[in-house]
Amino acid sequence: MGDEYPTLFRSEQMSLVQLIVPTEVAHDTIAELGELGNVQFKDLNPNVNPFQRSFVGEIRRIDEMARRVRFFASQIEKEKEPIPIRPLYDSAPLVTVGPRAAQTIDELDVKLAEHEARLTQMNDSYQLLSERLRELVEARHVLRETAQFFEQAAVRETEVRNSLDDSSAPLLQHDDREQQYSTGELQFDLEFVAGTIDRARLSTFERVLWRVLRGNLYMNYIDIQEPFVDPATGAETRKNVFIIFAHGDILLGKIRKVAESMGATIYPIDVNADKRADSMREVTSRLEDLQIVLYNTGANRRAELMTIGENLASWQDVVAKEKLIYETLNLLNYDVRRKTLIAEGWCPTRDIPQIQLALRHATEESGTNVPPILHELQTNRTPPTFHRTNKFTEGFQTIMDAYGVASYQEVNPGLFAVITFPFLFAVMFGDIGHGFIIFIAAAIMILFERKLAKADLGEIFGTFFFGRYIILLMGLFSIYTGFLYNDIFSKSLHLFHSGWSFSEPNGNDTSIVGIPNGHTYPFGIDPAWHGAENALLFTNSYKMKMSIVLGVIHMSFAVCLQVPNHIRFKRFSDIYTNFIPQMIFLQSIFGYLVVCIIYKWTIDWSKASTQPPSLLNMLIGMVLSPGNVDPESQLYPGQSTVQVILLLLAGVCVPWLLITKPYLQYQEMKKIQGQGYIGLGAEDVPRHTDDTTLEGEEEGNGRAIVEANDEEHEEHDFSEVVVHQVIHTIEFCLGCVSHTASYLRLWALSLAHAQLSEVLWDMTLANVLGMSGLVGIIALVIVGVMWLVLTISILCVMEGLSAFLHALRLHWVEANSKHYEAGGYQFVPLSFARVNEKQ
Amino acid sequence: MEALLFNVDSGFLEGIVRGYKAGLLTQNQYNNLTQCETIEDFRTQLSATDYGNFLANEPLPISTSTISDKATQVLVDQFNYLRSNAVEPLSKFLEYMTYAYMIDNVILIITGTLHGRNTNELLQRCHPLGVFDTMPALCVATNVEELYHTVLVETPLAPYFRDSVTAADLDDLNIEIIRNTLYKAYLEDFDAFCRTLGGPTAEVMHRILSFEADRRAINITINSFGTQLSKEQRAKLFPTIGRLFPEGNNALARADDIDQVRQACEPIAEYRAFFDASGAGGGAGGARPNGTGHGGGSESTANLLGDLGDDLGGGAADLEDRFFVHEVHLNKLAFLQQFQYAVFYSYIKLKEQEIRSLTWIAECIAQNARDRIHDYIPTF
Repeated sequence: MGDEYPTLFRSEQMSLVQLIVPTEVAHDTIAELGELGNVQFKDLNPNVNPFQRSFVGEIRRIDEMARRVRFFASQIEKEKEPIPIRPLYDSAPLVTVGPRAAQTIDELDVKLAEHEARLTQMNDSYQLLSERLRELVEARHVLRETAQFFEQAAVRETEVRNSLDDSSAPLLQHDDREQQYSTGELQFDLEFVAGTIDRARLSTFERVLWRVLRGNLYMNYIDIQEPFVDPATGAETRKNVFIIFAHGDILLGKIRKVAESMGATIYPIDVNADKRADSMREVTSRLEDLQIVLYNTGANRRAELMTIGENLASWQDVVAKEKLIYETLNLLNYDVRRKTLIAEGWCPTRDIPQIQLALRHATEESGTNVPPILHELQTNRTPPTFHRTNKFTEGFQTIMDAYGVASYQEVNPGLFAVITFPFLFAVMFGDIGHGFIIFIAAAIMILFERKLAKADLGEIFGTFFFGRYIILLMGLFSIYTGFLYNDIFSKSLHLFHSGWSFSEPNGNDTSIVGIPNGHTYPFGIDPAWHGAENALLFTNSYKMKMSIVLGVIHMSFAVCLQVPNHIRFKRFSDIYTNFIPQMIFLQSIFGYLVVCIIYKWTIDWSKASTQPPSLLNMLIGMVLSPGNVDPESQLYPGQSTVQVILLLLAGVCVPWLLITKPYLQYQEMKKIQGQGYIGLGAEDVPRHTDDTTLEGEEEGNGRAIVEANDEEHEEHDFSEVVVHQVIHTIEFCLGCVSHTASYLRLWALSLAHAQLSEVLWDMTLANVLGMSGLVGIIALVIVGVMWLVLTISILCVMEGLSAFLHALRLHWVEANSKHYEAGGYQFVPLSFARVNEKQ
Repeated sequence: MEALLFNVDSGFLEGIVRGYKAGLLTQNQYNNLTQCETIEDFRTQLSATDYGNFLANEPLPISTSTISDKATQVLVDQFNYLRSNAVEPLSKFLEYMTYAYMIDNVILIITGTLHGRNTNELLQRCHPLGVFDTMPALCVATNVEELYHTVLVETPLAPYFRDSVTAADLDDLNIEIIRNTLYKAYLEDFDAFCRTLGGPTAEVMHRILSFEADRRAINITINSFGTQLSKEQRAKLFPTIGRLFPEGNNALARADDIDQVRQACEPIAEYRAFFDASGAGGGAGGARPNGTGHGGGSESTANLLGDLGDDLGGGAADLEDRFFVHEVHLNKLAFLQQFQYAVFYSYIKLKEQEIRSLTWIAECIAQNARDRIHDYIPTF
C-alpha cells in the first residue's frame, strides 16, 4: 500500500494518525514535525474559545516578542541610510528545541525587551532633541525673516520721513527725530506677534484672524524653504514664518490664542535690532551645540540598530516558528491526567516511517527517554487530497487545482495536462518563431531559477515565473506545430521538395496554376500553398477538421479516465451504466465524423467520380433524415445503412444512461432492506471491511456513520439519484454536441494567430525589405525594431495569453466535465517552509 | 426607477458598506468577549474578528480609551473611504452625516473653553468625523455673536445658526440651548434633504430621523425638569419632524413630570413600551463607567442641563438604553431595503454602537465589574 511508487495519477494514500506525546517533549515534537512538513493536524477542541486553550499564555508571550521584532524592523526600515540585515542563512541558528529551549526563549525575551527599552529611550531623547532643534531652527528663521522685514520697512520709512523732513517738518520735534535717527532705531507704535505655522493652515489662519480682528491687522508671511522632518514618522512638513501687527493687548492676546490653537509656535521677538542680533547669535550657538549632541545620539541609535540588524532575521524566524508551534499545540488534546498530549492528524501513508524517525529524533534532542507514540487510526472520514509535485509538475497541478481539488484517490487530470495542455495551446499558437521566443524566455527563467526564486518579482512577473515549465513546454510544442503549419513569423520554410510546380506566367494571364509533380511533402503543409490564392481555403478546411479530430480524441480520452475511478472505488456497475453508453454515444456520432474526415482525406477527389461531399451536411442529414443519402454526395457505398445503425446505437444509449443506474440502485436498496438493515443499523454490512476505499462506497446504499464524529455522510435518497442521473444524461448528450463545436476554437484561434502575424509582417517589414541604400538600412532598423516589439507584445504575450485561456477552458470544461469529480479538499500540512514563504 | 440607475453611481459603495456590515460583531462574538478575563484576552478575541490586528502593535498594558480610539479610527477610515469614493448626491448625504459630529465638537469646545480647559486637550477629544479647519479658533469666542462671525460663518452649520440662534451670552444653559437648536435645525434640514432624494432613501431615513427627533424631544423634556428653562423655550427646541409632532410635542412642552411625558408618548405604540418597562425596572441603570469616549456625545445631551433626582436619573439612563436598542433596531431594518442611502447612515450608527458596546465591555473587564458586563447593546 504505502510502498507504491509515488505518482501523480492518484493522490497519495493518507492515514489518520494519532500521536500521544508526553508534555515535556510536545514542543520539540511539533517543531520537528514542522520542519518535516507532512502532517496536517486536526483541531481536537473546536468548542474551546481561542483564549481558553492550553497554550494561550505562551502565544501571548510570543505575540509580544513578535511585536517587538516588528518594532525593530519598522525602525530599521525608517532609517534613511539602509542598515544591513544579516540574512537568515548567514546567521547562527537559534536553537529552540532540546533541553535548553525554554532558557533560550527566556533569554531572547529578555534580550528583546532590553533592546526595545533602549531603543525607545533613544528614540525619545532623539525626538526631544530634534524637537528642540526644530524650535531653534524655526526661531532662527523667524529672527532672520523679521529682521529682513524690519530692514525693508526701515528703508521705506526713512524715505518717507526724509521727504517729509525736507518740506514741512515741525521744528520742535526735530531734535526728537534726530535722536531717533542717530540710534538707527525705528519705534513702531504697532505691536506684533511672530512665529511659524504649518503652510497648509496658513490661509485658514489668516481668514480666522481677519474675522476675529475685523480686518484690523497687518499680516506678512514668508515661506521657509527647507521642510521640517518629523524624526519619528519621517513625514515632512513645510512651514511659514508669519508676523502680524495689531493694536492693543486684547487683540494681541486673541491672536496668540488663535495661533496657539491652530498649532502655530510663537517666538518672542524684540523690536530692538541689536537685541534681535543678540538673540540671533545666541540661537545660532545653541543650535550648533544641539546639532553635535543630536549627531551623537543619532550615531548611538544607529549603532544599536546595527546590532539589532545582525540578529533580526533569526529573531523573526524563531518568533514565527514558535508562534506556529504553540498554535498547533493548542489544537491538541490533554489526556485525563494532563501528562500527555494527544494529537490527531492526516499524513501520507508512505511518510509514516519518516515521521517515526522524526519523533525519535525529537525525543533524543530533548534528552528524555519517553518517546511519542504514533499509531494509525481506522477511520471513515475522507482524507485530504495530496499530490506530491515537483517544480516541474507543480504548475500543471495548480491549473487543475484551480478548477477544483480532486477527490481523494481520484484520477488526477493534472498528470495528463502536462502534455495535453501545452499541446492544445500550441495548436492555437503554431508558429516556429513565436514558439522559439517563448521557449527562450522560459529557458532563461529556468536557467536563473535560483536567483529569481529569491527575488521578489511582483505579482505579474511572479505568475509567469511560477509557470515557467508550462511556458517551456508551450514553446516547444508551438515549435512543433509551427513545423506542421509550416509557419515562421508568417513565412514558410522550404525544407523539402514541394509537391507543386508552377509554370512560367505567359502573356497577360497573371494567375499561374500549380501542377502536381508527383512529390509528396513529407512533413507539414507544403510551402507552395504559401501565397496561393486559395491558401486560406485550404488551411481553413485543414485546421477545422484537425480541431474536430483532436477534440473528439481528447474527449474520448477524458471519458476513458472514468474507468480507473470506477475500478478503484469499486463501482463496477458504473462501467456499464455510465462509461459504455457514453462511449458508444460519443463514438457513434462524433467518432464516426472523425472516421469520415480521415477517409475523405485519403481519397483523391480529382480522380473520383463524385463530387467531394460536405461532411457537415452529411452529419446534419444523418440525424435529420436518417436513411437518405443523396447519391451525388455519397462518401462510400452503404453509407445510409451504416448511418442508420449508428444513429440507432446512439439513440439506445440515452435511455440506457437514463435508466440503468437508478434501477440498479433501487435493486440494491431493496436487497439491503430485504436483509433487514434499515437506516443506522447498516453499520455492520459485510461489505464494509475495507476502510481505506470507503470514499466510493458512500455513493451507494444508506450506509451509516461508523465514526459518528464530525462528518456527516448524507443519506442518498432514491429520488436524488434519479434527478442526478437525469441531469447527468442531459448534460452529457447535449454536452457532446456543444463541446465538439467548442473545439473549433482551436481552428479559430490558430487562424487568427496566423492572420495577425501575416498582417504584422505585411504592414511593417514587407514594405522596407525591398529598399536599398542608406535609407533602406535605416528604415530596416527602425521598422525591424518595431516589428520585433509588436511581435513580442502582441503576438507572443497577448495572443499567447488568449490561447492559454482557451486551452485552459478546453481542459476545465470540455475534458474535466467528462470524468472529474473534484470534490476533495487540499492537504495543508504544518510546515515551517510555508511560513517562510509567506513572509 | 432607483433599481434601474442606483447602481450606476452607488452600487460599488453599497456593496462595500454591506460588506462592512457583515463584519459587525455577532451575538456569538459578544458572548465570547464577555467571557474574557483580562484586556489581553479581549484583544486576542477581537483579533479573530474583522478588527483583526488593530491592537497588535500597542505595547501592553492597553487602556480602554486606546481600544475605543483605535476602533473609532477603524470607523473613521471606513467612512473616509466611502466619502472619497462617493459622488453626488451620496457625497452630500455623507457630508450631512458629519454635521452631527460637528455640532457635538463645537459644543464640546465652547463648553470646554468656558470651563477653562486646555484647548489642545479639547481638540484631541473631538470626534474625528466632525473636524473642520477653523475649529480651533472656536476657543476665542466669548459670546454667541462672535462665535458665529468668527468661526461658524464658513462652516455648513452657519445656516442653522443664523436662522435659529439669537445673540446671547455663552453660559452653560445657553450652550445647551444652542446645541439643541442646532440639532433641531440639522435634523429638519437633513430630513428635507433626504426628501429631495426621494424613493426608499427618503422613506427609510425619515423613519430613522423621526425617531431621533422624538428621542431628542423626550430627552430635552425630561432633562429640563427643575431647571430654569421656560416651557416656551423648551417647546422651541423640539424638532418638528418626529412622529410625536405636533400633538405629542405640544403635550411634551406642557409636561411637568415623567408621567406627563409618558402620556404624551402614549399614542405611539413603540414609544409606550419604553416607559412601561422603565417604570418597572427603574433604578436598574446607574453610573456607567467613565471614559465611554466620544461616542457618547449625543446621549450626554442634557446631563448639563440640570441635576436630576437619583430615581429619575436611574430611569433616564435605563430609558436611554432602550432608545439605543430601538435605534439599533431601526438601523438594522434599513439594511432590508435596497437601492437607498440609509444603509450608509445605519452602518455608521451601528458601528458606533458597536464601539460603545466594546468600550463598555472592556471597561467592565478593566474595572472588574463583571456583573454589569452584559449591559451592552448588541447590534447583530
